[in-house]
Amino acid sequence: MLQQYDLGTSTADGLMVWLEISERDPVSFEPSSMEILSKAREIYDGRIFGVVFGDTELKPLYKEAFSYGADTLYHVKDKRLIDFHPEAYCESLRSIAERINPSIILMSATLRGREVAPRLAASLGAGLTADCTELSMDGSVLQMTRPAFGGDLMATITSESMPQMATVRPGTFPPNKISDDATGTVIYWQYKGDSFKTIISSKRKYHDEKDITEADILISLGNGIKSKDTIRLAESVAKKLGGMVSCSRALVEKGWFPQSRQVGQSGRNVSPEIYLAFGISGSVQHKAGIMTARRVIAVNSDPDAPIREIADELIVGDAENILRELDKIL
Amino acid sequence: MRFVVFVKQVPDTSSVGTDENGNLMREGVPSILNPYCEFALDMACRVKGEGDIISVVTMGPPQAESALFRCLELGADEAFLLTDRAFAGADVYATAKTLSAFLKKFIPDHDLLFCGRQAMDGDTAQVPAELASMMGCGQFYYTEDLVFSDGWKAVQNYYDEERECALKKGDLISVSKGETDPRLPSVADYIRASGTEIKKLDRVDIGLGTFSVGLKGSKTRITSSRPVSISRRGILTDGGDPTEAAKHIKGMVR
Repeated sequence: MLQQYDLGTSTADGLMVWLEISERDPVSFEPSSMEILSKAREIYDGRIFGVVFGDTELKPLYKEAFSYGADTLYHVKDKRLIDFHPEAYCESLRSIAERINPSIILMSATLRGREVAPRLAASLGAGLTADCTELSMDGSVLQMTRPAFGGDLMATITSESMPQMATVRPGTFPPNKISDDATGTVIYWQYKGDSFKTIISSKRKYHDEKDITEADILISLGNGIKSKDTIRLAESVAKKLGGMVSCSRALVEKGWFPQSRQVGQSGRNVSPEIYLAFGISGSVQHKAGIMTARRVIAVNSDPDAPIREIADELIVGDAENILRELDKIL
Repeated sequence: MRFVVFVKQVPDTSSVGTDENGNLMREGVPSILNPYCEFALDMACRVKGEGDIISVVTMGPPQAESALFRCLELGADEAFLLTDRAFAGADVYATAKTLSAFLKKFIPDHDLLFCGRQAMDGDTAQVPAELASMMGCGQFYYTEDLVFSDGWKAVQNYYDEERECALKKGDLISVSKGETDPRLPSVADYIRASGTEIKKLDRVDIGLGTFSVGLKGSKTRITSSRPVSISRRGILTDGGDPTEAAKHIKGMVR
């Protein structure tokens, strides 16, 4: 049989997205997966394929995936895949990618997305761009833009081969439903491998608590906060405003907050409507983590604090006193 | 036991200044061992037993030797520097390919692989998984602790889930937690490190073609870059009276 040579004109077509599940009971999608579907629909004309992992509990979600723009949903149906097994997930995604030959593969830059995507990229021999904040199409070429060099530059990156792969920063693109009664095709897929981890124990944490990347308002505390009691004030203010409390690296190192609350390059990248920074001076890494916030308001005793470079407004004053007053008047 | 720790030298971003355009000035910035790589090495040192060997590996320019020297001071037994002009411009894929080719050829019989969660300069966190994929081994991201009881077990923290998984021989651990205060090596450590030769290997030693490494072996290209233009104005407000300042903030958030 003649072998078909790929001479740069790829026949690859379609856009594939791994749709992450954040909760199984009741079942729900990771919000950022719907953001990616919305963005994909906006920039991409071809077919959009979603991939989900789990058992029958996922059925109520089919409609949601279609309503955000998926045309076809591959359901890798296996009870064992309710738990996160990066190796098995990767092998399944690879076998589906080999079947549909997509030109683009996207997933969220969540902790799990950032673990699965590179494993998949290497096994497909594909290039991968991490944590993109802008995506656009130039013909069939996906232009992937992400912060580089500690957030001071935006670099636009393209892939040299198909499929073109990227992870997308959660909260960057608005989720848009195209229609409540959109329909599509569901294809059941079987995982035939056995790359399962031996999970000895597992406990879900902060089950009732939202993730800071999902909060609309973040009250964020930094090294300028000297008293641990201020955390309670911040929690109270956050509750009144319907937001959450986050922090800079300094307070994680002090042991005042778990790392899950840390904003910045080595913590989480966040995109809230309003980011209120109390006593955060604004290291390069911290600024990189709040670049995509809608508005940034900083309170700092130092008018020259570097956070000003990324803030809409820097209020010069004592962060703890102002927070206390804010708590009183809300 | 043979442990292999992959490390990277990075510019010390905490001491990076910016020029008049607000761009990072990377010239003359001191280089350090990437903090997460140091966590990974610390974890390997902590579980190391009598007769175990810790090998550290980095790919980088000749100056990256200093990062390896630091690793030797911290407790590594041997160090490999993969250095070649052809390695320049490598993206994640080309980097992982170079590291995996080295591993297959020079340390095929290894027990555990260690990486840091991410590099402070590149910040992609992709090399560990691509390396694991190319080695065909299991990967354990966000590992905070490693315990030995009836086999190796990794404690992984996904923020919303904490779990303990069993490791197999050859698996890769990506370490996300460690002591943040840098350890100071003793004089004895320094002397031991000084007496250890850092083995330098180039592309030919590793056995890769020019189209497999560096820019030519990369799957992605940076086509353009621009300074970040953030349309935030940085208005300065005097918040003299806390009550007034609080009212001002309330007005903005409501």
